[in-house]
Order: sequence, then C-alpha cells, then structure tokens
Amino acid sequence: MSRAKTRHGGLVAWGFAAPALLVYLGFLVYPALNSLWFSFTDWDGLSAGYNVVGLDNYTTMVDDPVVAQAAVNNLIWAVVTVVAPVLLGLALAVVLNGKVRGKPVLRLIFYTPAVLPLVSVASIWGWLYNPQYGAINAFLRAIGLDGLAQPWLGQDSTALGATMVAAIWLRVGFPMLLYLAALQSISADLYEAATVDGASRWQQFWHITMPGLRPAHYVVIALSVIESFKVFDLIYAMTYGGPGTATQVMGTWMYFNVFQYNQAGYGTAIAVVITVVAIAVSIPYVRSQTKEHAV
Amino acid sequence: MTSVVPPSVLTDAAVSGPVTSGPRRRAKGGIASTVLTSVAALVWISPLVLLVVTALRPLADFVAQGPLSWPGTFTFQNFADAWDIGNFATTYRNSTVLLILKVPVGVFLSAMLAYALAKLRIRFGAAIMYTVFLGLTIPIYITIVPVFVMARSAGLTDNLIGLIGPYLAFGIPFEVLVLQAFIRQIPDEIIEAAKIDGAGAWRIFLTVVLPLSAPALVTVFILDAVATWNEFLFALILLNSDASKTIPVGLLNFQGQFSNNSTGLAAGILIAVVPILIAYTFLQRWIVGGLTAGASKG
Repeated sequence: MSRAKTRHGGLVAWGFAAPALLVYLGFLVYPALNSLWFSFTDWDGLSAGYNVVGLDNYTTMVDDPVVAQAAVNNLIWAVVTVVAPVLLGLALAVVLNGKVRGKPVLRLIFYTPAVLPLVSVASIWGWLYNPQYGAINAFLRAIGLDGLAQPWLGQDSTALGATMVAAIWLRVGFPMLLYLAALQSISADLYEAATVDGASRWQQFWHITMPGLRPAHYVVIALSVIESFKVFDLIYAMTYGGPGTATQVMGTWMYFNVFQYNQAGYGTAIAVVITVVAIAVSIPYVRSQTKEHAV
Repeated sequence: MTSVVPPSVLTDAAVSGPVTSGPRRRAKGGIASTVLTSVAALVWISPLVLLVVTALRPLADFVAQGPLSWPGTFTFQNFADAWDIGNFATTYRNSTVLLILKVPVGVFLSAMLAYALAKLRIRFGAAIMYTVFLGLTIPIYITIVPVFVMARSAGLTDNLIGLIGPYLAFGIPFEVLVLQAFIRQIPDEIIEAAKIDGAGAWRIFLTVVLPLSAPALVTVFILDAVATWNEFLFALILLNSDASKTIPVGLLNFQGQFSNNSTGLAAGILIAVVPILIAYTFLQRWIVGGLTAGASKG
C-alpha cells in the first residue's frame, strides 16, 4: 500500500503534520499532563504559589462521600445511557431497514435531538419536568395518575433517572444511524436463502442480522462508553449536581471543587481519575482504529 | 478488520443508498412497522412540538389552560421578549464569529495532518495516529484548569480568541480520523501523475488532494461547525461578561431568569436551537454520512 508514497522524505511530511500536532499538543496534551501535575499539589486555583502534597488529594478522595456518590452515578450513567440507546437504536434500525413508509422523516426525527446543544436539551427537559407548569406532570394528571406527578428533578429518588431520560432521548439516534448503515451491508441473499429454508424472522435476526452486525456493535458500544464518561453539560445545566449532591458526577464535582470551592489541586485529581478510567476503557478502540489505518 | 460501511460509500450508504431487499422481503410487516415507528417518532418529537406550540401562545393562555392544551390565541411576542432579555443579538454574533474564525482553520490543519498520515512517508506515523486518536477519549474537563491558567496569563479570558486554541485541539482527532481515511482512498496513481508533472507536495495537496476530498471536507466542516456552535464547558469557564458569551452559556443564564415564564422560556430555547435545526434538516445527508464514516473504521 505504501509503495507509491511520495519520497519527499521526513521534512515535508512533518511540515504538513506540524501545525495540527502543535495545536493538539499545546491545547490538549499539555493541559492534560499539566492537570496531572496540579493533582499532586494543594493549589487553590488563585494564589501565585502552592505546595506539592504528593498523593494527598487522591487519599482525600477515598474519604469524600461525594466522590463515592459521583463514581456510582457515573457508573449508573454509563450503563443506562449506553444500554438503553443501543438497544432502542438497534430495534429502530432493524425496523427502519424493513418496509416502512416515511423512512427519511423517521430517521430525521430520531436523530434530531443529537444535534441540539446539550444546554438546550437540559432546558427543554427542565421545562418538561417543571413541577407546576411542566408537561409531564400535566400529562400524568390528565390521565388520572395525579399521584405520580412529582418534582422529578427536585428529589433525590428521581433526579438522576430524570436526567438519564433526557440523555436517552438524545442518544438513540447515533446507534440507529450506525446500525442502519451496517444493516445495508448484509447481503439480502442470506435472508432469501434462510426464508427458503423455512427460518422464522426471529431465527433470521439471531443467525444472520446479529452476526452481521458484530463490527457495528463494537464501534457503537465503544463510542457510547467513551461518550458516557464525558457527561457534564446535561447534569450541570439540568440539576447543577443537585438536589444536594444527588446527581453529582465526577465531571461536575471536579468543576465545583475548582471553581466554587477553590480546590484546584483536588479538582484536577478527580478529573485525572475519571480520565485514566476513560482512557483505559477506550484503548482497545483507539488501537483498533490505528491498526486499521497504519500501514 | 471489517468496516461497518465500505469506505467508498462515505456519504451515501447511510443516507440515500438503495435499501437492498428489505421492502420485498418483509411485505407483511409493512403496516405494523410503520404504525409502531410512527408512534415512537411522535413521542420522540413531542417535546419539540410542545415547545413550538407553547412559544406561540400568551403566558396567560398557557397558565389558564395548561401545557397540553391547544392555544386559544397565538402571538409572536414571546420571541421578541426572549430575544431582548436573553441577549441573543450578542450571543448569536459571538457564536457566529467563533465559528467563522475556528472551523475553516481547524478543517484545513486537520486535512494537512491527514494528508501527511495518509500519503506522505512520515516517521512515527502510527505513533502520531495513536496519540491523536487517543484525543477522542479525553474528557474536556481534564484540561480546563491549565487552559484557564494559560488564557489568564495570555490575557485572553473573557475573549472569544481564547477559545480558539482549545476548540481546535478538541476538534482535530475526529477530523483527522475521517479525513485520513478518505484521503487514503485517493489512488496513488493520481498523485504519482501529478508528481511526474513536476508538482511538489504542496501543489499536490492543494490542487489534487483537497479537491478530491471535497465530500469528506464538507462533512467534517459541518460536524465541526455543529460542535463549535454547541460547545459549553470551555465557554462557561473562559467567558464572564454578557458581551462575550456564546449561545449555550447565554441560554443557561436565560433559563435561570425565565424558570417560571414557560412561554418565554420556550421561545428562548427555540431561538437558540432553530439555526441548528434548519441546518441539520438541509444538511443531514452530510452529517449522517460523516458520523457513520468516522465511526465505522472499527
């Protein structure tokens, strides 16, 4: 494959690569490593100086009940906002790949929430969940379930679930699109042969569709998991981590420590932990992407 | 490893590609599937429909009749009020300026790197790719403290210019991923022919590679524009004054002020999202194609 690559040698190639690499190193890699350094200090984020405190911030995290809660919330968030959209997206893709009228419009609708700014998604759902004027409680009252009307975002028991509903709403479109594309590459002959052999639709799904989607499953799940670790905007704009600390995740708790409580050292330590987990989980995906292309 | 989508159908397969045999194969399931998915689609779109209906009615009408009723009267007054109070003239201008300054530069730099990785003999190519793709997985918040410190020492807090570096850096991994996959598909013979004609690497890049990559460039441009328009966290920490805020940060403020004025809030949310909805409706072919292409090289 590389036989016809130009022989301009390293310098020209590096000339093309350098600008983007410098920006990437300067504004992403360097700040990330710099955060790692701050995480070993007691810096408040404002003063000129700080002390190196070794692993103190990390040991403090072990005793911080909010960190424990945020970690659990991150885990719940990762499981629910990956599994539900992937299953729903798969179901939609399979149905839309069959005989359905108005396919382009349906596909448009299911993906629409994903292009909106997350802050606006938070505003929309905050507005739907409003205890007095919100459409959700109004709907429950209208169908006689007055007892179920409640302050969805205002109580510990429902707040996290309510934010995840908004996340599911906006995340279904992505797996649906990827599965739709993958389904179109499964040969129709396989289904025809199976039909001739008397295989039911259910059998066809398990023995033709699912194996055919294996590469798609991998990409969809890897990207969804990566995305789930980045959660910040939705929580921040919908609940501000509350009520109390009920919906804190690592990203928001990091932010509050740095910008509200002037504990930049501690905040960056929280960010380091979740980033390390995110990278560890994603390394197989990154490696597969590199292998795919590197020749 | 098998691709989800054959690379040659970068922008077509997911969007308008002929659906192979689905229709004939499932003739019986047609009506049930249509009804089922239509109901699901109605549920999915209902928040946005409700938002439009609410934004178009007077607050008194909304309060008297409840959120699920059909309006007694219609008005555009909510939009006028929300536009003024939400400071949208300013946030619109800021978001537009940022988009114009950032997106073309980001796409061009990414295309250069993608070209080097795909077609030039570059040392450590695999290591560069690995490092850059790793950026897809890094959460923004790991960088915000140092980025804030850097912006402050450069005197660029509360300034749109301060956002450009971080925005470029976080856009590069995805753009390079998509573009290098596309540029790799350009036949080497075309590049060789240009070289025999005496073209240097720059001329080949500008007159052969970029024009042939137009579909991928458009896709990446649009996706990057959407991401830039929607970005929240960097804007939140770097921009303080109302005069410099972008749309997502402005909307958050607005949401706080209007929490009990449902019709005004609905109008404000719509003002913030309408450009992106319109752009998406017209450009969805490119967005969808780019997402599937970018994600599919598994």
